[in-house]
Amino acid sequence: MDFDLGDGAAELRLRLRGLIQENFGPNFLGAFTNNPNDLDATNSFCRLLASKGLLTLAWPKEFGGGGGSLWDQTVVREEMWAHHEPRGAQYMGLNWVGPALMAYGSDAQKAFHLPLIAAGDVIWCQGFSEPEAGSDLASLRTRAEPVGGAQGDQGWIINGQKIWTSYAGMAQWCIIAARVGGGERHEGITMFLVPMDSPGIEVRPIRSMLGPHHLNEVFFNDVLAAPDSVLGEIGGGWSVIKTALAHERVGIARYARCERLLSLIGAELSPHWSDLPSTLHVAWVRALVQVRVARLLAYRTVHAQERGEVPDVAASAARIAVTQCDQSVAEVLFSALDHRSLEAGSDAPLRGAVEDHWRYAQAATVASGTIEVQRMIVAKALLRGESV
Amino acid sequence: MNPVLPEEAVQVADAARRAFNDLGGVELARHSELDPQQREKIVGVLGQLGLDALDPRSDPISLAAAAASCAEAGRVALPYPLAASLVRDSEGRPTAAIPESLARVDHADLFSEWRVGTLDGSAGFVASDATGPLHTRLGPFVGTLSDLRPAAVSATDILCQQLLVSWTVLGALENAVNLATFHVNSRIQFGKPIATFQAVQFQLADAAVTVAGLRELAGFTLWRYSSVGEAARADVFALRLHALESARAVFRTCQQLHGAAGVCDEYDISVLTRMMQPALRLPVGIEQTAALLADAVVMDGFAGLFPLGGRA
Ligand SMILES: Cc1cc2nc3c(=O)[nH]c(=O)nc-3n(C[C@H](O)[C@H](O)[C@H](O)COP(=O)(O)OP(=O)(O)OC[C@H]3O[C@@H](n4cnc5c(N)ncnc54)[C@H](O)[C@@H]3O)c2cc1C
Repeated sequence: MDFDLGDGAAELRLRLRGLIQENFGPNFLGAFTNNPNDLDATNSFCRLLASKGLLTLAWPKEFGGGGGSLWDQTVVREEMWAHHEPRGAQYMGLNWVGPALMAYGSDAQKAFHLPLIAAGDVIWCQGFSEPEAGSDLASLRTRAEPVGGAQGDQGWIINGQKIWTSYAGMAQWCIIAARVGGGERHEGITMFLVPMDSPGIEVRPIRSMLGPHHLNEVFFNDVLAAPDSVLGEIGGGWSVIKTALAHERVGIARYARCERLLSLIGAELSPHWSDLPSTLHVAWVRALVQVRVARLLAYRTVHAQERGEVPDVAASAARIAVTQCDQSVAEVLFSALDHRSLEAGSDAPLRGAVEDHWRYAQAATVASGTIEVQRMIVAKALLRGESV
Repeated sequence: MNPVLPEEAVQVADAARRAFNDLGGVELARHSELDPQQREKIVGVLGQLGLDALDPRSDPISLAAAAASCAEAGRVALPYPLAASLVRDSEGRPTAAIPESLARVDHADLFSEWRVGTLDGSAGFVASDATGPLHTRLGPFVGTLSDLRPAAVSATDILCQQLLVSWTVLGALENAVNLATFHVNSRIQFGKPIATFQAVQFQLADAAVTVAGLRELAGFTLWRYSSVGEAARADVFALRLHALESARAVFRTCQQLHGAAGVCDEYDISVLTRMMQPALRLPVGIEQTAALLADAVVMDGFAGLFPLGGRA
């Protein structure tokens, strides 16, 4: 047994921390703010990481990646999320649009898209959810009609509405799930790669508790997609989605930000730590334990992947722990700051990081599949006789 | 034994509910966030309801009417410090509990002078010169009173305001459960209302039971406060602790049952959750409230079937 990720991982972690510190001011809380400089800074940072071979460290060498280990990937995910995702909106492209293209893309698609993602030059958004299709994604209604024969030899006309589309207002490309032909549920669902500046696409921001420019509605009105815009097989979109969701599921190392904020708050409050109620001391150490458990469950998933397994159930188990940890840590941090938790911005405690974390944490158990859906995945596996 | 609110109080609250709905319900909170002047509409309505003349300290029925009206204010996240304004002093100044470190209150800017004090009774002030508001998403109207003149502030009045704030939270949580119930009945996934899934039903039931418990405790605490006044300190802190813990659980569940809509401001649940944060964090949050309660129980005891705490 050995829970040390190794010297390489430790070096990588320090290197990433150094780069983040050099390139971002202490007030940086992510790309989704009203300050356009934040988005610019994340895009520049992606290009910088690309130039150092760190952006696609995890990608296989044949696709221009660094061929890094799964543990290197884990370190990247942890450090990025812990520091408010300095890659901004690009992480979606890196974490799963790229891998989905590697798995399902045509040679031409790979040759066009992968270098753009690898260079840190493109933001992707993901158009899955619809007003009527949330947890029940297979009921999606957006339609794609072929032009010039059933194979869409002259392209596809897409009509429908997507909702909760993160970064749609910033994205240059969208991977969208639409229905082709008369199939029901999973049948007929097809993935399309569509430029966001296509005529007929309209993005409307949604006012939410999260940062501005995060959630959006996206309307597709007679959008003409190119003949070669289908990713994978016509009607084969469901397996692409499953690949995507599997990547997304292990994607966010929320526990890392939780731990960083618990550390920062500990330092911030240390001068008068003994004046704080003892219940708060207890809540803080309980949170430390919860964060550690969440991290270890995430590591178990990575370890299974390393052995070549497809750890769907372990990933759901980890996600349950990680998202719950995100929300309970948000409350502990708020208790620690008491009424000052209501403040936001650079003058607020921890420069607003705690307030920001609390708001985002409220969506943790919904984003990329609700905690209830994860619980059902775990329960069904148990009932099939599998272990978690 | 009769746990039911007096009929007169129910009538006052019914009128308040209609009036607050006429103002737009939760929509008024949404509008006020963009245009804080909108809050001024509320003053006239409170006058028409007679709430500007109601004194919760005068008799148990007035106290119950004030509490039930605060619950109605909470139901729509009324952007107004109703609890504080009901506990006026002879000069018409609202009364509020403040944190030890600074005189921070919700909607500080709506009154030129306040009467404020800490929960442990160690400091009291007449306060003015509101600065702020914070304009943040979790405390848009929270301001700080910068000019403080030491003054005697009745501990009983501070407790009364805290009691009424807990009733405000209660109303917000009752509405949160209503909103979630409505949503799960109308939201169709997998071909049927999500209300048909037992996992949804259980969550809703737990939230509803939590709120039902809070309502009983809120009623009990009204009675205690009416009966023993300042000696109900532990009871008022206990109610506040339970209100805060219930809010944490119930808002979370009700947001969750809305899916992504739960964090989206077009839906009332998101606005309600955000707008109630000042009530949950001011003057102190859960851990500090628990610490105050622990001290109060040791000092004064805790009413129950057996001796609990108290310096006998
Ligand atoms: C921050 C954030 C970012 C997002 N980004 C994107 C994005 O970029 N692209 C995209 O396509 N989507 C995105 N989403 C949408 C997300 O995938 C959906 O919100 C999620 O799948 C849930 O769908 P819903 O919101 O419609 O909730 P619903 O499915 O309506 O669920 C409502 C409630 O009912 C419960 N429920 C539903 N079915 C069952 C059942 N069978 N049994 C028990 N309980 C059930 C749910 O768990 C939930 O509590 C994002 C969401 C968030 C919050």
